[in-house]
Amino acid sequence: MKILIAIGGREFSKPTLDLGMKIANSFKSSTTIAYVGKKISQFSEKDVSVVHQNLDDRELYRPGIRTLEWAYDFLISKKYIEEKDSNKFDDYLLVDEENSRMKVLLKGQQSDKIDLIMRTGEIIEQLKNEVETNKHDITIIGGGGNTGIHQKLVQFIDSSVFVVKNYSVSKKYKILLPVNDSKGSDMAIETAINFAKSYKLNVEIVSVPEGKKSIEEVEKILKKTKEKFSKNRIKTTTKLIDGPTVNSIVNYAKDDSIVILGVSPKNPIMKYFFGSKPLSIAQKCNCPVLITK
Amino acid sequence: MNESYKVISSSILFWFSQKKWFVYSVIISIFLLNLSTPVGLTVPAYHSLIILLLVFMLVTFEPIPFPAIALLTLVLQVVLGVAPPDVVASSFMNDAVLFVMGSLMFAIAIVHQGLDIRLAKLIIKIFGKSKRMFLAGLMTISAILSSFLGEHTVIAIMLPIGLSVIRNIDTQQADGKNAVLLTLFSIAYGTIIGSIGTPSGGARNVIMINYLQEFSNVSIDYWKWMKHAYPILIIQLVVAYFVLQFTFPSSLNNIKMRGFKKNVGKTDVKKNINHLFSCLIIIGIVSSWFAFNDIYGLGIIALAGALTFMIFGMISWEEINKNTNWGVILLFAATISLGFQINETGASSWLVLKFNELLATLPSNSMNISWSIMAVLSGLTANFFTSSATVSLIGPMAIELHPTDISFALSSAIASGFSFLTVISSPTAMIIYSTGLVSTKMFFRVGILMFIISIIILYLMSQFYWVTL
Repeated sequence: MKILIAIGGREFSKPTLDLGMKIANSFKSSTTIAYVGKKISQFSEKDVSVVHQNLDDRELYRPGIRTLEWAYDFLISKKYIEEKDSNKFDDYLLVDEENSRMKVLLKGQQSDKIDLIMRTGEIIEQLKNEVETNKHDITIIGGGGNTGIHQKLVQFIDSSVFVVKNYSVSKKYKILLPVNDSKGSDMAIETAINFAKSYKLNVEIVSVPEGKKSIEEVEKILKKTKEKFSKNRIKTTTKLIDGPTVNSIVNYAKDDSIVILGVSPKNPIMKYFFGSKPLSIAQKCNCPVLITK
Repeated sequence: MNESYKVISSSILFWFSQKKWFVYSVIISIFLLNLSTPVGLTVPAYHSLIILLLVFMLVTFEPIPFPAIALLTLVLQVVLGVAPPDVVASSFMNDAVLFVMGSLMFAIAIVHQGLDIRLAKLIIKIFGKSKRMFLAGLMTISAILSSFLGEHTVIAIMLPIGLSVIRNIDTQQADGKNAVLLTLFSIAYGTIIGSIGTPSGGARNVIMINYLQEFSNVSIDYWKWMKHAYPILIIQLVVAYFVLQFTFPSSLNNIKMRGFKKNVGKTDVKKNINHLFSCLIIIGIVSSWFAFNDIYGLGIIALAGALTFMIFGMISWEEINKNTNWGVILLFAATISLGFQINETGASSWLVLKFNELLATLPSNSMNISWSIMAVLSGLTANFFTSSATVSLIGPMAIELHPTDISFALSSAIASGFSFLTVISSPTAMIIYSTGLVSTKMFFRVGILMFIISIIILYLMSQFYWVTL
């Protein structure tokens, strides 16, 4: 499994980085930590590039490097990377790869499983390129800022998207898994099983009767899902919630929930202009939300 | 749902989400093309104004690369009957375009020589007695150099010096943060203000000189421009110094002059000779701009500078080729070509006529009002559209307002250099923003005061000083 963690300002990136690394460690996956720098106007892009080269020559940090250095130190402080004299950040090499991608290589030994990269440009385009080129399975991004970014990420990126909202390291979380009989829901169930096994988290399976579905049919879906978890020896509770789907799930989710949803089977054009239920839930929930693909 | 349908529709949607402004611009242009031509305008003139609007939208939102916008501008001029192919081709290349090309290459060659180390030593020597003097020195030297060599050259040289000084400052403390901002803004404002000083300070100045020569047969040489603009530059510098000290009060205790000195490495004999040669070439080129711009044009002299660096092996063609923004050169060439057609077709006269009709409805002195609107409009447009592109498109209208009075054209070009409001307005602003230490909000907050004061200074100078020249 390959995980991409997108970080921005230090203040908001701590929870994203912490949860992202926990997931990466529990799945023993390789991780890319990406800083996407500000989009530069075409008028000035060459000037900016010349200045940045100049800063490198003068051994002054170019923008973005400080954030990656902070991320690297954070990983060491949390023991995600073993601290050695040889793997200090001071001595780094920037490798200019194609498509606005720069890789930070540290002189000393470091885990092969963690890559630090810098990209410059429009964030959705850059993350989409990163996922397509390096085949990441999950993209993890902070929940602050513009919610439109999350919608576009879910819409256009070929990986599951984990929006880390209001995550607290000290809190004991449980998985909230809304299910129905869609393909996306099946994928969400599989991911939730893996998460629950790795983290030993409790799982709450919920379902909302939609359209012409009878309560019996919904109960059947809940029962079937519960059985899948039981086979993996994971403790679950089930609940049938009444009301409009999005609001019912948003109201049911608590601060200590990690909501795991499947991507909507809706036509992409309809999703772009009118949104979808998973997207609305991700936007309205005040807790981490993972939309699986 | 069919998987391939999902993939295709998703790709189209992604394209649309990235290029929506291109789609909107095209739709608006097609809509305008289908309206009847306004009274008093010829069809080519109307079409040239539609292309102008299209270019404004495309350059502002950048949905497609600049070279594509440039090519589209040329193609549309011919396809929509604005001008025949030969006329478009001949207006595509002139001294202003050569200046843009030459100055970009010349800048890369200068920056490549690593003169910042030597310059840093010089600044410390002259202004190193106190930290506040040092910052004033950074600002002044930035302004003087920028007035002759252009913003993009100077900011590339000065920023490493600025960042060396503030590298260890803790920005979590208000005093430290203010010291960082004061240093960066001193360099940025010095560089921006300086660019109005001489014709070679910015491509917009050369474009306006070119337009004045072509449309009004008025010639402005290097010295004449300086006599008009340099006093404004000096007043602006003094004002900017106090505005920045007031906005970012700091003890400057955190600025480490010693750390900065340590950073300035030792130079060897080869480097010394290189630097000496570079200075001689720079002095030669600036002197030639003064002495020979009437004969050779500013563009050819700038190209000669880049050429000299290449001939003496001080920079390779690969380095120049890699770092020259060819897209911008193409775009300027195309917008200048469009500017010529806007004037030739009579579109600029029509716009000015409408503008004057509007002014006639106002009770007070129309001359002052039309100057103010033109200056503020030039300044504001430049902040959202970049200065040189603004002058290349608005320049013909500014001249048309008072063809024999150069104060309108000069004011428009100088006001376009007041890039204090947005980070996209100039390379300096964008480079300072790209450090991640200055936000767009911060830039605007400080810049709005500087912008207003600068417009007032420009007005007063044009009213009371320029008339004495």
